Amino acid sequence: MATIGHNNLNAKLVLLGDMGAGKSSLVLRFVKGQFLEFQESTIGAAFFSQTLAVNDATVKFEIWDTAGQERYHSLAPMYYRGAAAAIIVYDITSSDSFSRAKKWVQELQKQGNPNMVMALTGNKADLEDKRKVTAEEARVYAEENGLFFMETSAKSAANVNEVFYEIAKRLPRAQPAQSPAGMVLVDRPAEGSSAASCCS
Amino acid sequence: MYGTKGKIDLAFEYQSQASILRPSIHSRRANLTVKFQDLYGFTVEGNVDDVNVLNEVREKVRQQGRVWWALEANKGVNWYLHTTIGQGSALTSSLKFSALANAITLKKLIRKGIPPVLRPKVWFSLSGAAKKKSTVPDSYYDDLTKAVEGKVTPATRQIDHDLPRTFPGHAWLDTPEGHAALRRVLVAYSFRDSEVGYCQGLNYVAALLLLVMKTEEDAFWMLAVLLENVLVNDCYTNNLSGCHVEQRVFKDLLTKKCPRIATHLEALEFDVSLVTTEWFLCLFSKSLPSETTLRVWDVIFYEGAKVIFNVALAIFKMKEDQLIITHHVGEVINVLHTTTHHLFDPDDLLTVAFNQIGSMTTNTISKQRKKQEPEVMKELDQRIRRLNSLKVDDK
Ligand SMILES: Nc1nc2c(ncn2[C@@H]2O[C@H](COP(=O)(O)OP(=O)(O)OP(=O)(O)O)[C@@H](O)[C@H]2O)c(=O)[nH]1
Ligand SMILES: [Mg+2]
Repeated sequence: MATIGHNNLNAKLVLLGDMGAGKSSLVLRFVKGQFLEFQESTIGAAFFSQTLAVNDATVKFEIWDTAGQERYHSLAPMYYRGAAAAIIVYDITSSDSFSRAKKWVQELQKQGNPNMVMALTGNKADLEDKRKVTAEEARVYAEENGLFFMETSAKSAANVNEVFYEIAKRLPRAQPAQSPAGMVLVDRPAEGSSAASCCS
Repeated sequence: MYGTKGKIDLAFEYQSQASILRPSIHSRRANLTVKFQDLYGFTVEGNVDDVNVLNEVREKVRQQGRVWWALEANKGVNWYLHTTIGQGSALTSSLKFSALANAITLKKLIRKGIPPVLRPKVWFSLSGAAKKKSTVPDSYYDDLTKAVEGKVTPATRQIDHDLPRTFPGHAWLDTPEGHAALRRVLVAYSFRDSEVGYCQGLNYVAALLLLVMKTEEDAFWMLAVLLENVLVNDCYTNNLSGCHVEQRVFKDLLTKKCPRIATHLEALEFDVSLVTTEWFLCLFSKSLPSETTLRVWDVIFYEGAKVIFNVALAIFKMKEDQLIITHHVGEVINVLHTTTHHLFDPDDLLTVAFNQIGSMTTNTISKQRKKQEPEVMKELDQRIRRLNSLKVDDK
């Protein structure tokens, strides 16, 4: 859950998606600014944390990067339990990975925390010539399901920080009573990706 | 197809055993991190203290080697195979006694580590792999690899995807030759047991087996004996039910053996499986330095899967003081990661695992597993039903 302390927010975030879609690569790009051509496959899950400054608050993400192989699915509830946000990742060069992503969305809608902020990301956007899933198709699906959608590339870094920044902005700033006097944290209905500086 | 039986030509083969690691003057002064290759060709990053520890460990390994050679000279080659009593009731009591004595010596000796040069031979005999292999025609592995060559299945696709993602950067594994060997072992196994097929995690286990055993065929049989005889059933099959069982058994054991840690972590709402799942599925190969991992495997192949519990508990136990003052999940994970990554002296870990945890027999673990199985099955079943009902809603 996102928990509030002054204007600091702790948010548990989980990444779900098919094996090889690029979950670990997205996290590595976001947390360390790196990209590896060959990223070790994740077993179980890996943990990372990273802090973002958004407006006048800081959001500390506690990130669970999960394993993508189908049979690891049975472990997933342990990771998404109590998560404030989820990034569901597919690979734009694989239609199968897009189907898997839809299944994750359904599962989270049923089993996840009802206020969860969900992002759908079509990763490997740098591989345009191998594209199998159109951005339009994914955007329509995302809109129908109340997710926000972006195409990313962990390789080129395109939109990676923006996804996390956008999630940070959308996290419910609940319990205004707990905020220090004079400070109201509003839930901004931010549209699209802003190029505002983040995670500096 | 070539080289299925040929020895892997490990350029780094044991040569580093002889050389002392010397951090440069600069790194010594500035206490910088140094990079070097360990005994099994992995690039390790550590500080100067770590390097010193590794040098001491290597000296200990050499001494252990001398003990093994002396025993072999004294008791005869393969003496360690004669440790089972009661096979022939005609054994004289003095022979029985010597078998028993051998068994006691062997258990102690293995906990102190099998010398790397003897490791393939000792593992192969003591794990039961040799016996397993002897029940099929000699050409089994060659025939199997030939028969499945060129076949494409979901398992082979996933294996291909994971080959370059298995210990990337390793001096031998991450070469075309290494990829091809690992592929043949994993693909062959996926056909041997189609229920397991390929499970992520096995890539790391098989890779390490290849590095130790030196031949693909022996690595294949070690993998087979591990999955079919050593580990709990269904560790790697469709919903990892065996792994779920192990996790529950582990949680109970942690509560019993390390109550302060268990209570504290519970208060933080930290589910230990978040970290331990990987330990159980990769048998520590992704967490501990390779030489430490293999020391753990030495004991697993002789004493069985209960050793995984000893070792996992020991990792927590070693850091009790630090763990009980953590404030959040991230800190807990940090403590555990830092600990495992720097466990360059296997004896630090194994001493705790076998002397400070209290005895756990395979029998008690089996009973615990039996107790947990119905619960796990029920849970997994409910989950599948819920997910199926999602699909119906979708229509
Ligand atoms: N071209 C390109 N390759 C990428 C991108 N993101 C990841 N990859 C590559 O895709 C492969 C898989 O990436 P990972 O990040 O390991 O995928 P994952 O989703 O974590 O996979 P699992 O851990 O197996 O579930 C790696 O070899 C990456 O280098 C990207 O944006 N563009
Ligand atoms: Mg991953």
